[in-house]
Amino acid sequence: MSLLWEVAKLAMQRQLTYRAATLAGLLTNFFFGLLRAAVLVALFGTSQEVAGLTIQGAITYTGLTQAVIAYLSFFGWFEVMDSVYSGEIASALLKPMSYFSFWLGQDLGRALVNFTLRGLTIMGLYALVFDLTVPTHFSQWLALLATLILSWLVSFSWRFLVNLSAFWTPNARGIGRFAFGLTWVLSGFLMPLRFFPEWFIKLCNLTPFPSMINTVVEIYLGVLESHEVIQALLVQGLWVVILVVAAHLILRAGTHRLVIQGG
Amino acid sequence: MRSAFLTYFRLIAADIRSQLGYPVSFLLETAGAGLIISMYFISLALVFQRFDNIAGWTLGEVAFLYGLIEMGFGTMDMIFSGFDPQFFGQIVRRGGFDKILLRPQSLTLQVLGSSFVIRRLGRILQGVVIFLIALSMVEISWTPVKIIYLPVVFASLVCFFGGFFIIGSTITFWTVESIEVINILTYGGSEMMSYPMHIYQDWMRRFFTFIVPAIFLNYYPALYFLDKPALQELPYFAPFLSPIAGFGVLFFALRFWRFGIRHYQSTGT
Repeated sequence: MSLLWEVAKLAMQRQLTYRAATLAGLLTNFFFGLLRAAVLVALFGTSQEVAGLTIQGAITYTGLTQAVIAYLSFFGWFEVMDSVYSGEIASALLKPMSYFSFWLGQDLGRALVNFTLRGLTIMGLYALVFDLTVPTHFSQWLALLATLILSWLVSFSWRFLVNLSAFWTPNARGIGRFAFGLTWVLSGFLMPLRFFPEWFIKLCNLTPFPSMINTVVEIYLGVLESHEVIQALLVQGLWVVILVVAAHLILRAGTHRLVIQGG
Repeated sequence: MRSAFLTYFRLIAADIRSQLGYPVSFLLETAGAGLIISMYFISLALVFQRFDNIAGWTLGEVAFLYGLIEMGFGTMDMIFSGFDPQFFGQIVRRGGFDKILLRPQSLTLQVLGSSFVIRRLGRILQGVVIFLIALSMVEISWTPVKIIYLPVVFASLVCFFGGFFIIGSTITFWTVESIEVINILTYGGSEMMSYPMHIYQDWMRRFFTFIVPAIFLNYYPALYFLDKPALQELPYFAPFLSPIAGFGVLFFALRFWRFGIRHYQSTGT
């Protein structure tokens, strides 16, 4: 555990050096947020509430989703893949910790920095421009904290799993792009999940993707009853377990057939 | 001049051959890229069942705009791959531009020829599909002028976006790192232009009218093609300014590119 934290601290230091990239990413996320807010406001038109979401809630939703992009590396993450192809994986496998935990630690550091520097800042910028919804009860904040941690765990284990395809194919980037692209719609990132037709929501709920974005959004906005909140958190937890177990099984199968090329 | 173009076509032919080296992976990536980008449109279309219009525009009308922009941006992204700021920034960083300067050929054609990402066909194709969906959903009263003008708008769009790629690449002469902020104008611009511009706040629309003339390439022409009323009084020629805006941006970008080359200092790599 302390080893994991050391890895995370190093990753944080590394992440903190990308200052220009952080600023650029921040501005881009914010600009896209403004566009998405304008689209939702125009869609709402004169209606005050659609599918249980107020217009204020919908605007807040665009802020939240833009704020977690960097925290969850939502647009794509290919680091494990790259380390398999470059052969760096060899030294990582020799480390006195499991390969999964090694990357979990790295991603923890990366996520913490991005949560603070990009996530919180975007919400701050949003608050300057829009009138945002803010959770009111202490229990809601507590649930928010839990769901944020769980969403990161779901997201990380999914990304890790996708990256493991590099063990089987020499060009897994296409698979990765496709797998990450799939999450954009199914997680409720592009549009709030509750705006979709019933059958589509059911389809999404069969996947782990709503546990990355939609649950966080709905808990933050307070549109769930308290028993629904607990249920949503349990579903997130269940996906963490499933994905982590799957990642370990596939990782074991992958390392057995791994051939390090070059050096 | 002829030999320069011959070199250009040889260069991209070689690049395309290398991309087709792994045909399965190529097909998957192309289909994947197209599919991912259509997610934006799919989610909008699904949500439209709840809202039947967006600020007075139907789904078909938005699809017209969306498809046009996607085709334009995708085509540009393929032809101007060499000027993709991310790609070009790397060349500058690694000193590759010094090599280009040494060759007795047109610099612009060499950079254009350095990459031609045919994977972008995926994006173009999904633009075509969305555009065809639009045509099936919206009754457009075609006139000869409209039929002639549509390809002009398309070509202007390609030039417009290409101009921003060139500007973004030129900036890397000074910054070395590719600056991601240019993404706001390229990717952000194309996303913004996919919707009717009257949904945006005034300051945004003014910015994209007077500083970056994007509105002349999507919204005004679309009003004309779809016979939609404008929200405020427009001069009758406003929809026909696309070529001036598109080629104007490209012209300005090429001037800036020349200026950049004259001030280029190698990274010494």
